[in-house]
Amino acid sequence: MTRRDFLITSAALSAATLLPGNLFAETTKRENSERFPRQLKPTLEGDVKAFRLFIDIHQQELAPGLRIHTLAFNNQVPGPEIRVNRGDKVKVYFKNKTELNHTIHWHGMHVPWRMDGVPYITQMPVMSGQEFVYEFTAEPYGTHFYHCHWGTLLHMQSGMYGSLIVEDPDDPVRKRFPYEREYTLLYSAHDLNFLRNEINAMLERMKERLYLVRNGRFDKERFAVFDTKEELEEAVRNGYQPPYLVNRRAPAELAQPFWFTVNGKSYPSTPNLYIREGETIRVRLINSGTEEHYLHLHGHDFWLVCDDGIPVPQPWQMNTIRLSPGKTFDIIIEGKNRGIWTFHDHDTRRVTNNGLYPGGNLMALVYEDLPEEERRVMPMKGMNNLIPKVALDE
Amino acid sequence: MPNKTRSLLSIPVMIFTVLLLCNTGYSEVTPEILLGARGIASMNLDYTPGGGEETVSDFSDTSLLLGFRQKLYSNYRGTLVIGFQFPDEGSQLEPILFHQVFLRVEDRANIFKIGRTRVRSAMIEFPTLRDDDAIDFTDILNPFSSGEDSEDNQYGNIVEATRIFGQRYRLSAYGEHLRNETEAVSKDFGFNALGLSFQYRVPESQRWNREVLNQIGISLNAALTDRSGYSGELDKALKSITFSTVLNIRPDPVHFWDLRHQSIFNLGFSETKEITDYADLTRAKSISTFTSIRYLYRKLERPALQAALSYGYKTFPDLTNSSSQHQLTANSFYRMGANFDAGVQVSYRKNTGDLKRLAGEHETEIQFALIYSIEQLWNSQFDDRESLLNLEHGYIP
Repeated sequence: MTRRDFLITSAALSAATLLPGNLFAETTKRENSERFPRQLKPTLEGDVKAFRLFIDIHQQELAPGLRIHTLAFNNQVPGPEIRVNRGDKVKVYFKNKTELNHTIHWHGMHVPWRMDGVPYITQMPVMSGQEFVYEFTAEPYGTHFYHCHWGTLLHMQSGMYGSLIVEDPDDPVRKRFPYEREYTLLYSAHDLNFLRNEINAMLERMKERLYLVRNGRFDKERFAVFDTKEELEEAVRNGYQPPYLVNRRAPAELAQPFWFTVNGKSYPSTPNLYIREGETIRVRLINSGTEEHYLHLHGHDFWLVCDDGIPVPQPWQMNTIRLSPGKTFDIIIEGKNRGIWTFHDHDTRRVTNNGLYPGGNLMALVYEDLPEEERRVMPMKGMNNLIPKVALDE
Repeated sequence: MPNKTRSLLSIPVMIFTVLLLCNTGYSEVTPEILLGARGIASMNLDYTPGGGEETVSDFSDTSLLLGFRQKLYSNYRGTLVIGFQFPDEGSQLEPILFHQVFLRVEDRANIFKIGRTRVRSAMIEFPTLRDDDAIDFTDILNPFSSGEDSEDNQYGNIVEATRIFGQRYRLSAYGEHLRNETEAVSKDFGFNALGLSFQYRVPESQRWNREVLNQIGISLNAALTDRSGYSGELDKALKSITFSTVLNIRPDPVHFWDLRHQSIFNLGFSETKEITDYADLTRAKSISTFTSIRYLYRKLERPALQAALSYGYKTFPDLTNSSSQHQLTANSFYRMGANFDAGVQVSYRKNTGDLKRLAGEHETEIQFALIYSIEQLWNSQFDDRESLLNLEHGYIP
């Protein structure tokens, strides 16, 4: 057997192993439902909906065979979905179980400014072992998200993001497009080497800093935190070398993502969107990463109904949407063309795992009522004629 | 080139060619590439009575290391390291010594190493300017050496297996071929030293966990020498026991103090009653200790200033003529920038008894040095066994 034969056989065996048996089986659909953010249940404190979030270091499997260390809210990447009604009084208890600093920023929400979660600007960082309580009224309506705002580049890529949905009983989208099912998709991009090396370095630094803080030895230059810009300038005049200088600790280059995830998973572990012929579904798209995504749905035009959570005055149709970092879009898909259709980033560099196509944020729109006879294609020697397969090396 | 050597060389060439052919048409797995460089240049002033040697520019121990590392198909990782250094002034060695040429295969709990590298003649390192500045005290001396080259005590060909228990306990067994100068041309590259070591060691990444005990270890070494009048291998072996410890006296991130100690008990040969040459020095029963106390000031989370005081003492209890060696070394290094230090070291050595004949009565040396040392990794792909993530948050192969 040549090496190529061996690789081909291995790929075929892997594909057979990864094939989810039957995309239309109930067990497959149940497994798929776990690939969407789990809803966090609130407790009632009077008329306030109280949620509990904690952050800890967790291991996440991005794709079969690839596990990484992540920062995870409630041991989930993405964090659990917070779903409230417009006007609800909300309280979020946030407990830091790591040795790193964190905050939570409520992206797109009109919270009181001291609840905005920006360290040293709206609040002090939530340090190891500390708890911070965020309180706000759920406004405005729509699809939003939350994320850590400490070391944002690193902490967001590491998994510290989750969806925040503000519902309205008088939902304008539902009125126009009555739907039963909806899906939340959080996109992200990861430079795994940057994550690993920086978290390790940050953990080491924080072990030092925590010791000093506990002993009341906060040092402005050491921690690179100054009360005013004038104070920093004075320190620089006196010889202080800020950390962004190349002779201190500025890295040689910025993070370069080479893993792309939807709901914390890369193809072939990405979720699928199930639909029935004649059904309308709502899909909430959130870009919680650093890269732009040009999301394209095969075989359909979809309706853009909300931009950053705000209902657009006049929904319009398209089949490719540009999802920039920090943006959210709500789209409506109508089940008008049965089949199994791919839904993916058309910047195909992001449909790769470690540079290999296919991978990344490749997923599918699956008509669960697709007739049996339409699920078969011409067979290939050694494989059955059921589709889809799981291909890993094209 | 002798025919036998030529035919032996042809085997790896053939294997390489086969591998090369097999890979034609396939993209290669890109390895991690590690570059380590250390430059030490010093001006040495020697105040030995009767005229010592002064060196305008001593760049010995300057070295360059190149490493390649990648994941294997299992959970193991494979590494190749090639490195060279400039030997000491006046060395009998070639101008450039390939001191590191080895391959290593490792997983979470096992390390296998084969090739040329640092031999297990010492268990810990000490804060001296150069690694061999106190080699009479810090290392088991190579009994096959002429004593001309300190590198003989540091580098050799080894095969080593290490098992790690519970992240911090290491059991190692090793066989070594120490450089043999007792033969004009070395014909045999078989084992001439064997050893076993066990140590508890806190990983470097956890140094700020502020534990007092940082390292403690013991090793048993045997050099397979010839000994006239003895035929049993055990009787012929020159045995020694090494004990080491590192204590964090004040594990403070700004003002850090630690203490290092190592004792070597060379059981020696009972018939060696006097030291007339280097062979006697290595074979005489001896007890050597070396202790360092180090202060490290870390400004802005980086080392800024280090000062260390070290004392070594070696005694030879079986000699007819009471003999001993002493060394007092003080040094200080100031960090001029990341990786770049300026330093000064003062060493005083005193010998008594038979050692006076061999190494002089006493010597004082002052060295002014610049040191540049880097470690750079390209194509980072996976985490180290001893990273904080792997140690404290579950190991990922």
